[in-house]
Order: sequence, then structure tokens, then C-alpha cells
Amino acid sequence: MENEVLRIEDLSILYKTDLETVYAVNGISFSLKEGETMGLVGETGAGKTTTALGILGLLPERTARVTGGKILFEGEDICGLGDRELQRIRGQKISMIFQDPMTALNPVLTVGEQIGEALYLHNQENLSLKEIDAKVEETLELVGIPRERKSEYPYQFSGGMRQRVVIAIALVCNPKLLIADEPTTALDVTIQAQILSMICNLQRRYGTSVIMITHDLGVVAETCDKVGIMYAGEIVEYGTLADIFTGEHHHPYTDGLFGSIPSLTENSRRLHPIEGLMPDPTDLPAGCKFAPRCTKCMEICKNTQPGVYEEKGHQIRCHLMKQKDENRKRDALARRGKSGSGENVQAPEVKR
Amino acid sequence: MVKSRKRAQLSEFWRRYKKNKTAVIGLVILIIIVGTALFADLIVPYARCIEQVGADRLQGPSAAHFFGTDELGRDLFARVVHGSRYSLLIGLVTSLMALVIGAVLGASAGYFGGMVDNIISRIIDVFMCVPPILLSLAVVAALGTNLRNLIIAITVSCVPGNVRLIRSVVLTAAERDYVEAAKSYGTSNPRIIFRYVLPNAMGPIIVNTTMSISDMMLSAAGLSFIGMGIQPPSPEWGALLSNAQTYLFTAPHMLLFPGLCILFSSLAFNLVGDGLTDALDPKLKD
Amino acid sequence: MSQNLLEVNHLKKYFKTGAGMLHAVDDVSFAIPRGKTMGVVGESGCGKSTLGRTLIQLYAPTEGEILFQGKNVASLSRKEFNRIRPKMQMIFQDPYSSLNGRMNVFQLIAEPLIVNKICRDKREVEERVAKMMDTVGLASRLAMAYPHELDGGRRQRIGVARALILEPEFVVCDEPVSALDVSIQAQILNLLMDLQEQMGLTYLFITHDLSVVKHISDEIMVMYLGKCVERAPAEEIFANPLHPYTKALLAAIPIPSVESCHKIRELLQGEVTSPVNPKPGCRFAARCPHAAERCTQGDFPLVETTPGHFVACDIGV
Repeated sequence: MENEVLRIEDLSILYKTDLETVYAVNGISFSLKEGETMGLVGETGAGKTTTALGILGLLPERTARVTGGKILFEGEDICGLGDRELQRIRGQKISMIFQDPMTALNPVLTVGEQIGEALYLHNQENLSLKEIDAKVEETLELVGIPRERKSEYPYQFSGGMRQRVVIAIALVCNPKLLIADEPTTALDVTIQAQILSMICNLQRRYGTSVIMITHDLGVVAETCDKVGIMYAGEIVEYGTLADIFTGEHHHPYTDGLFGSIPSLTENSRRLHPIEGLMPDPTDLPAGCKFAPRCTKCMEICKNTQPGVYEEKGHQIRCHLMKQKDENRKRDALARRGKSGSGENVQAPEVKR
Repeated sequence: MVKSRKRAQLSEFWRRYKKNKTAVIGLVILIIIVGTALFADLIVPYARCIEQVGADRLQGPSAAHFFGTDELGRDLFARVVHGSRYSLLIGLVTSLMALVIGAVLGASAGYFGGMVDNIISRIIDVFMCVPPILLSLAVVAALGTNLRNLIIAITVSCVPGNVRLIRSVVLTAAERDYVEAAKSYGTSNPRIIFRYVLPNAMGPIIVNTTMSISDMMLSAAGLSFIGMGIQPPSPEWGALLSNAQTYLFTAPHMLLFPGLCILFSSLAFNLVGDGLTDALDPKLKD
Repeated sequence: MSQNLLEVNHLKKYFKTGAGMLHAVDDVSFAIPRGKTMGVVGESGCGKSTLGRTLIQLYAPTEGEILFQGKNVASLSRKEFNRIRPKMQMIFQDPYSSLNGRMNVFQLIAEPLIVNKICRDKREVEERVAKMMDTVGLASRLAMAYPHELDGGRRQRIGVARALILEPEFVVCDEPVSALDVSIQAQILNLLMDLQEQMGLTYLFITHDLSVVKHISDEIMVMYLGKCVERAPAEEIFANPLHPYTKALLAAIPIPSVESCHKIRELLQGEVTSPVNPKPGCRFAARCPHAAERCTQGDFPLVETTPGHFVACDIGV
């Protein structure tokens, strides 16, 4: 078996205030091997960022509680670690790219100083200041910024360039795991393409594992090996990229997500949105979290939490998968049109 | 339908205000103070304020004189009760006038910007260079000493600060997208200022105004102290207070009661202001 | 009368900045037939939002004509324009900041009616608001709710209702779905298309999302640094992009299908340059892979290559 960098088992996180309890993450599990990229896809409030902050131990102390589960990083449970131990890991072995490059940088320090900071703090190889400086310059060039610009301040950089600086900060210590929280959402498409391809190249070069948090299925398709679709704090579907994009069975929410995207390759005048809204995270439905919006909702879905049904690593958390008799299969085949041979490599088509 | 909606909004507002316990306490204190001012004549006749009893000078609190007497033997309780009229009147009227003038000037400066802003801001800068008390003194000296002029004088000293504050909050509120949206369907500038910009800038403005009420009472006291404010024998809390300074060690009660009144009334105004800010903001509902 | 509801001729909007003149919209011309949708795409800073705002006179144009129903709105007096304004409305990008949080849903939607003194009495206002709420799919029980209590999709429905209550003919949609989640985005797009059909609306649809613009537009205009670089029917521009920038833009979209997995793409280098005091010649020359000397010498006018397909570059011609 390849090296497993991160393994999350049944992780649950909630935010508790005097007034209410927000169930942000409800029992998610996944694992990540060396050099792999996993996409966490979901809409606002699905618990993607909370998961990321949970891994880094950066949850707001006053309100957030990890109520269950384990976060195994290189085999060690980092869930209950103290601040000092976490600081050893944070920035050096696990680092994060934040969404908004405009606010993620300190405006009064030069970019060189900010990139060097992590190296200076985690100085394990006892680098001299000169060596740190050299490494900073090297990292800058790696992300496509001329080394002369290290003594400039963030305001002198454009949005795309700032995101490159943020990435340089995240990568300067050669981390094992990189968490990218919507790294390109705030950027224009042409810049997004530059940044994504750069992340992919660097990852291949250093064998970094990446968790790519995004709401854009296109970004996922371009960068990820594995995908977890999150909904209301659960991973409702989990599998390889091929499983999610061309697999035979899907969680109804995944189908809904694909139906909502206007396609560039097909012409359909109407979109097929998921009706309704995300459930209130303080008051989640008793059964399947997606049941109130699901077009295939059954009686059982309303009361009983669905389990995870797995087929060759492709996991779906839905009652529909349980009924795997011939009938269902034939239904599914009919529903998916000409697919079924498993060789169909098109995106799931928009159903009319 | 419209009327019932107004009523519904009012009861909704009251329901939200009620939730804030300290604001309710503030409101109760305020009602007591205002009630005292309104019904001062029923509580104790004005004559007792100015009646000088030589034998009863500088006496401590007793059944005959609840708050004791002052250096001329006047009943302090009567003076405090009647003084509330002057103090409240000065505090409220000056603050409200300063608010209105500040809102018009500050909002114009912040909303229109450019030349309008430049002219208003520079004039305000000049006023800010003069210490407020000096400004008030100059106005009183020029206009003569009476209650009306005192109110004008204190208002003038308070306006520059208000303009500055309101201009800065309006600047941020006017940049919001909804202002542009309002323009897109043809809303007039005054309507944008009063329905879009100011309501969204209200929080700091209300807090500032309620805080300033007590400030105003104290500046009135200051002016009275140097003889430029309320003229004796009219009672006014600030005047009572400054009067008491001379007898700080021999008759501390003279300082205590007017002081407590000023303390409680400014506390009440501040608490009510806080409650208002919260209750008026729909975002803080529930 | 011409069939074009809106015609824009050589529209320019410059802003004065400390560094010089910012050419936000620079000599843009187009026409939108009644009932059709013109999509405007481009990256941030290309002037697409300024264009939309100039059309409905939130900004006064520096130069050029905006013919609405044959009348040049740019030259109208304030009073005359007030009569036309209800016919030209706008839906804003951010449903969080474009609604006044101090007003409830009813007040928000009724505001344009009250401001323009359209209804005779309160009852008529109430009726029209109720009808409009129904049209955009807002439950009537939400009339007393405040925007912060609602989610992004419902808030954007308020924005749509507010723009449509004056019964406009022309609506500028400035990135109306960019701030929404995909599933909600689809709901709003469907709503906008249904309303277009029902009310015969004409849209100028501004967005940076090419898949959205393709979905909703009849014609698409690609903007780069204030200039229109290419304009063509929606199908045509995706099937046969001519301008190097359009090609680069299309190549940059991540496509949600397995084929795009780890694919190596030809990437556009560099970033958008400043629109302040632009150099003469093609604005895109600095990033263009095919840039030649002639590109920086003279301006490239829009040339019609095939009927309805205009491009401001001589490579594709």
C-alpha cells in the first residue's frame, strides 16, 4: 500500500453558542495518499471549510468542538494535540491556501519576509539567514514571480500575483499536505487557469497531497484524483474522479449539482436546479439530510439515516443504493440513457 | 392595513427592546426622571426652591429636608426636583439640535462629496480648532445670558464633532450597492439620504447622541459655574454642583445629590440609546 | 421604427484618476433587438459593469449615443429621463449588499413604485407587490421579512422583483448569479429566462462566467480593457472564436468532465494591464501569443467576417 498521508475517520464538528448549536460536520471519513489530490465539493455551508480548519486545528476555540472521530496525519492522531505541537505541524507539514488573496497577506511586511517567516519559524535544518533568503528567492521563481520582487509589498501585486505569493508561503517548507480553500474563486478565469496548473505542477514535482476545496466541478475535473461531495456536513458521495463524473450510480444531490451547471457543450434551454434550500444546520432533518429537496425521496428517507453503500471504493450515502435488485438496475440503466457499459466517458448529461 | 402594519412594527420594536434588560432598567430610570421634571410643581412647590431660611443653613438630610439644605438654607430636594427641568431641557434640546444640524451637514458632506464636502469640512475644521467651552463662552458673551442663548451656545460647541462623526459613517454607508440600486430606480437624493444612508449609519449616531446628552448637561453646569449659564436663583443640576464645591468637606450632601442625579440620568440615556440601537436594527432581531 | 430596442453608438466612459484617464469603456457600439439577450463577458476591470451602469445613466457617458427606442437618453434632461427610467432597470450582483437591510421585503419591492409615484393609492401598491412576489416565486408570508433573514437565492429574487416591478422593457443584469451557489444559480437563471418570455424583456447580461452567458444569451460581446474585441451570435462565438483573447478565455474554462482531467492547456500568460492611459493599438497585444509589430501601431476596428460576427483582430479574418 502506498503511503497514506491523511486519514479522517468519522469526524464530527459542531459550533455551540448560547443560542444554538450548529452541526457543521457530521461524521465524515476519507483518506489521502501521498501525491494525491482530493476534491471537497459542496455549496456554502456544507462544512468544507470547517473540515479544513479542523485538520489544521484552527477552529475557533470558544465555540467549536470536535465531538468525535480521528484525524490521523502520518499515522498520528492530531485531533487532541496542544497548540505547541500543532504549531510544529502547521505551516511545515500541513499548510493552507486561503480563498481571498487580498486579505490573506500582511500589508506591512514585504512578500519576501512573509515567505521567509515559515522557514524561519520551523528552521529544522538550521539554515542561516542567507540560506533562507536563497530559498525564498527559489520559491518565488517557482511560483512564477521574478526574485527581484521579494522586497515589494503586497499592495504592489495584482490579485493573481498575490495568490502566487500565498501559494509560495504555503509551499516554502515543502509540506506533506496542502489544503487549498477555494484558491481561485476570487480570480478571473485566465488567472484561475494559470494558478491551477501551477498548483498541479508543483504538486507533481514535490509529491504533495492536496485537498482542493471548491464549489466548481470544472476545477475538480481538472485537478483532482478523488472527489468527496459534501452536503450538510456529510460526504454524500465519495469516489475517484471517474466514479463521480461517469459512474453508473449517483447520489441524487450529485445529479442535481450537475443538472444545475449550464453546459458549454450541450444546448438545453432550461437548467435543472435542485429545488429548495440547504437545511438549517442547527436543525437538521432526522433522516437523510437531502430528503426534503430530493426528487427521489422515499418514506424511509424521511426517518432513517442512510448508511454508506460501497462498490469498488465508490461510496454513496443513499437509501436508493440499498435496493440493488434487478429492477432498480434496469431503472437506473434506463434513467442514464445509453450509459451502463461503464465506458461512457461523458459528463452525466442533463436530464430533460 | 397600513395602520395595522405600523402598529405591528411598533409592537415588534417594543418586543425587541424588552429583551434587553439593562435597556429596560434605563428606560425606567428615565421615566422617573422625566416624570419628576414634568410634575415638579406637584411634588414640591417652586417657592421652596428659593425660600431662604437662615437658621437651616448647610444642614444634612432630614425628614424636613430630604436632601438637606444649601449655604443659604434653601431646600436642596426642591432645588434638585426643579433643577431637573432645566437640566433635562438643556441636555435634550441641545443634543437633538446638534444631531439635526450635524445630520444635515454631515450627511451632505459625506454623500455628495466633492465641493460640498470640502466647504463643510473646512468650516468644521476651523470650529474644531477652538475649544468647545470657549466657543460656547463666545456665543453667550455675544448674545447675552439667558436659557435660550445658553442652549444655542452649547449646541454650537457640539455640532462640529457631530458633523465629523456623521460624515464618516455616511461615507461608508453611501458606498453600498443599495444606494446605487436606489439611484437606478430614480430615488431622489434627500430620500436616499434619509431612507438608505442615515438609517444604516444610525448605530454610532444614536450612541453618540445619548452620550452627548450628559455631556451637554455638564457643559451647561460649567457655564453656570462661571456665571454665564442659568442665573441664580434658578436651580440647575450643574449649577448646584459647582455651588457645592466650596462646601465639599463641610456639606458633602450638597455635592452628592445633584451628582447622583446627573450620573443616573446620563446612565439612563446611555442605556436607552444602546437599547434603541439594537431594537432598531433588524439584523439583531431575536 | 427600428426593431432594435437599444442601440449604442461609439460609447465612451472615461474616469479621471490620479494617474490619468481611465478608459473604462472605449468606443463600444452594439444594438439589442427587442426581446433578445446580449451577453457581455470579460475579466474584472474590462469595463463591463461600467458599460451597464452607463446605459441606465448611473454614469454620464463621456461620448457617444445611447438610443433607447430611437431616443438618445444621454442627451435627455433629467426630467425627460425620469420618464424613461422605469423602462430601463438593473439587477445587481451582490444580493447581500444591494438590498437596504433596514427595509423589509414589501418595502424593498414597493420602493420603485413609490419613488416614481406610479400607483394611485396604497392598495394598488400592495396588489402590484403581491403579484410581483408571486411572479418571482417569493411566498407572500415573506413580505414582512428582512433580507438578512433570507438566503442568497431569495434575496436575489427580491432584486429581480424590484427591477421588474416598474415593468421595464430593458434590464441590465450585472452578474446576477455570480454570488450564488450553483443549485440556486440555476433557479435564478431559469427565473430570468421565464420572465423574459412572459414579459418580453430585453436583457444586457453581464457576467464573467462563460457557461452562464452562453446559456442565456442570443448574442455575445467579449470585452477586454474597455474595448469590444469580438461580437457574434452565442453559438457562433463558441463554435468559431476568432479573436485570440476569446480563444484564450474559452480555453481557460475548467470543464466538468473527465476528459479535462489533468489536461495540459495552452495558457494565457501575464495579467490584464492597466486601463489608465492605454497605449495605442490592440489592448490585448501585451498578452497575445500572436502579437506582431502592427498590433501596437494602429487601432483595430471591428470587422464583420461572416454576417453578424464582428472581430477586432486581423488574424482570424
